[in-house]
Amino acid sequence: MLATGRLLERGEYQRWIRLARPAIVGLLIAPTLLVPQFTDRRDTLNLLFLVYLYVSMAQSWNILAGYAGQINLGHAAFFGVGAWATRGLWTDESVPFLVAFFLGGLAAMLFALVFGLITFRLRGVYFAIGTLALAEAMRITVANLLPNIETLPGPTIARYDLEPRYYLALGLMLFVSATVWLLPRTRISLGILAVREDEAAAEACGVNPLLHKLVALALSSFFAGLAGGTFAYYHVSYYPSFTFSPVWTFDAVLATFIGGIGTLAGPIVGGTFFIWVRERLAVSLVDVHQIIFGSLFILVVLLLPGGLVEGWHRVHRLALRLLSRTKEG
Amino acid sequence: MLELEASEIYVAYGDLTALWGASLKVHQGEIVVLIGPNGAGKTTLMRALAGLQPPYRGRILLDGTPVHQLRAHQLVERGIVLIPEGRRLFGGMSVIENLTMGAYAASARKQVPQSLDRVYSIFPVLAERAQQQAGTLSGGQQQMLAIGRALMAQPRILMLDEPSLGLAPIVVSNIFDVLRQINAEGVTILLAEQNARMALELAHRAYILEEGRVSSEGPAQEILQTDHVRRAYLGQVSPLAGGPTEP
Amino acid sequence: MNLEPVIQNLVFGLFVGGLYGIAAVGLSLAFGVQKVLNVAHGSLIMLGGYVSFWIFTWYGIDPFLAIFITAPLLFAFGVALHLGLFRFVTRLGEEDRIKNSLLISFGLTLILENVAIKLWTADERAVTTSYAGDGLTIEGIAFPYTRVASLIVAAICVFALYAFLNRTFAGKAIRATSEDWEAASLMGINVQRTYVIAFAIGTALAGIAGALVSVSYLIAPGIGLTWTLKALVVVVLAGMGSILGAFAAGILLGLAEALSIYLVGAAYREVVGLVLFVLVLLVRPQGLFGRR
Repeated sequence: MLATGRLLERGEYQRWIRLARPAIVGLLIAPTLLVPQFTDRRDTLNLLFLVYLYVSMAQSWNILAGYAGQINLGHAAFFGVGAWATRGLWTDESVPFLVAFFLGGLAAMLFALVFGLITFRLRGVYFAIGTLALAEAMRITVANLLPNIETLPGPTIARYDLEPRYYLALGLMLFVSATVWLLPRTRISLGILAVREDEAAAEACGVNPLLHKLVALALSSFFAGLAGGTFAYYHVSYYPSFTFSPVWTFDAVLATFIGGIGTLAGPIVGGTFFIWVRERLAVSLVDVHQIIFGSLFILVVLLLPGGLVEGWHRVHRLALRLLSRTKEG
Repeated sequence: MLELEASEIYVAYGDLTALWGASLKVHQGEIVVLIGPNGAGKTTLMRALAGLQPPYRGRILLDGTPVHQLRAHQLVERGIVLIPEGRRLFGGMSVIENLTMGAYAASARKQVPQSLDRVYSIFPVLAERAQQQAGTLSGGQQQMLAIGRALMAQPRILMLDEPSLGLAPIVVSNIFDVLRQINAEGVTILLAEQNARMALELAHRAYILEEGRVSSEGPAQEILQTDHVRRAYLGQVSPLAGGPTEP
Repeated sequence: MNLEPVIQNLVFGLFVGGLYGIAAVGLSLAFGVQKVLNVAHGSLIMLGGYVSFWIFTWYGIDPFLAIFITAPLLFAFGVALHLGLFRFVTRLGEEDRIKNSLLISFGLTLILENVAIKLWTADERAVTTSYAGDGLTIEGIAFPYTRVASLIVAAICVFALYAFLNRTFAGKAIRATSEDWEAASLMGINVQRTYVIAFAIGTALAGIAGALVSVSYLIAPGIGLTWTLKALVVVVLAGMGSILGAFAAGILLGLAEALSIYLVGAAYREVVGLVLFVLVLLVRPQGLFGRR
């Protein structure tokens, strides 16, 4: 499932790509930093905010699913805990927002560790449906404990400024993506990948599967919690149980798979695609986007497991082969 | 006149080729045995003939008609029945349920009572334990049930993959007697065996399969006498030392 | 102490349990035979409910009678679904098959749910027959006709399936295929066709469950996930491979939920089932009645 993102061609082109890649990434990121300076349009900023948020959720889910191979269908619970903790600390306890933000992430992580200690005793599909069930149980519990809509206090609403929220979401997305980029370069990732490929074999080599799964889970949940905190910062009012709704899991799953599970670019491509299609279609044909995503998802699972990223690589390779053939011929 | 033939077949599991142009022919009324070391491809050849593992090159012909494109259940309808390695009974079903399932093929289904009678007369122990769960039978009884189940399909050719596996010699001897009896009643038999001696004494003709290729073939008695076979499969050093006792 | 409300609750728990049971049996059949986990099962129940609703609304046919139309329609849809979609996971090994069928059916749920919204709006529907409010009253406990009939229909279907699987050649072929598909094909059983039939029977049962839900509860495009989870919980409780066990476990769950409202309150009734589910998964993954 892991598309290595590295192309198998020889020679100059490869070297050029390697040198150019950081520059390309820089060129892509730079404009995003400057967008609010050039436009005040709320719809643009809101759209980009959603992109960053969904990409972050997808990246965080991908850490556990793509790299560690554990399909967690309870991801929404971490998002919800993060939102709950951040919002509570920030509005009720007057904790400075950024502190509340990181504490929200930590809260989600601690919750996830307990969650993981229970659910990692299950394997494969049982893990998937077990996490789904637990997350649903959380959602119903929260719906009962906090049935009322949660609204920001008046003065905060008066001071509401979209720009910091934009930068927070952007920062989160960069933070998650940087972590995912760094991950394969750490020693612990070897263990995590080994567990994904063959748990028994990994164990036989002295790798502790539970520990490595928990590490992946901790990272995954931390970022999901931060995403929840971002949501809590952004929305003026919402129902707390909504942040525990399975749509947050399913949207992340869709975005990751369609983009390309187990890759760095996958969630970015998938999340962007997801929001773009959704927002374009929302005006003309309500809910058709879900049908499209459902169909794309099925196609990806059946035909193109590496998602759009794999599709891109195949096209790229084909183009290279055609080009080199014309050069020689 | 039945004739089953594999003609230069190549069979692969994924990228791994297990049979390299193997050829084999079985005629009406014969008992043919396939011997060879572990991993030589005996099971692969049996599975290919039964329609479970289609060859990517070569043909399988039944009475001159190509059948290698057909699937297993279709070959059963044409009278080719395989008892796979390890027997593969339906452990959760009773003896009589297993037997009845053997007669699933449309042609066989009309003859269930007669077939049952025949099977019970050959294997009285199955009649005694008709309601018992197949998974609880002894090894020998399971083999009998497997053969009985295959007979319910009214086979023209009965194929057995390692029937002696895991069974005590006396039980194997009984099974082989039964095979002789069935053959006398008109069923052609092809069997793949590790137990070369008993199989060669039962069979009319033999093939030796080594590393995915047929290395020799001939009348069973002749194969039994060859040096190579004696050394490799019968544990003997010199032809003079041959006979019922091993050195 | 007044036991009447408790008993009334238990009686209703029994009725809903019957629905849980038939929902679970349908899911269990497809999974048991081919190891295909179809999480769109709940959406198929939803479809059955809509079919039942529209047949009633347009033609005035009683939903229980309409089952003779609903079931075959969903059976045909099941055949189409398998041939068009789930057939492609057949080639995979068991673990990949389960994972991929879970993912594919997740995509399918999205499609079915949103197609339903487009066609029939997100409004909730229910079939209200002329006898909807009527029922027997025994010792002060109400037994509404619709619920009683639902339970009876569910029970009949489950027992009919059980008889089919154990007394007919076709049914035994399904059992044989679920035990060992290669050995089954060596018996002359067309394994591909068996897969399609078993899957389609599962969807037909979902259709029947949907018809029953339309009478006693509500049908809306979004109910799919809830019913899938319910069916999953029951299937796990019962263990794989036991049709009667799945039905019994469904009833047990209904009763347990009914009782639980006295322990944790009505609001947490669903949570009870979910937590129970995870507990059973942890402690006894083969379920209460399962083998393996």
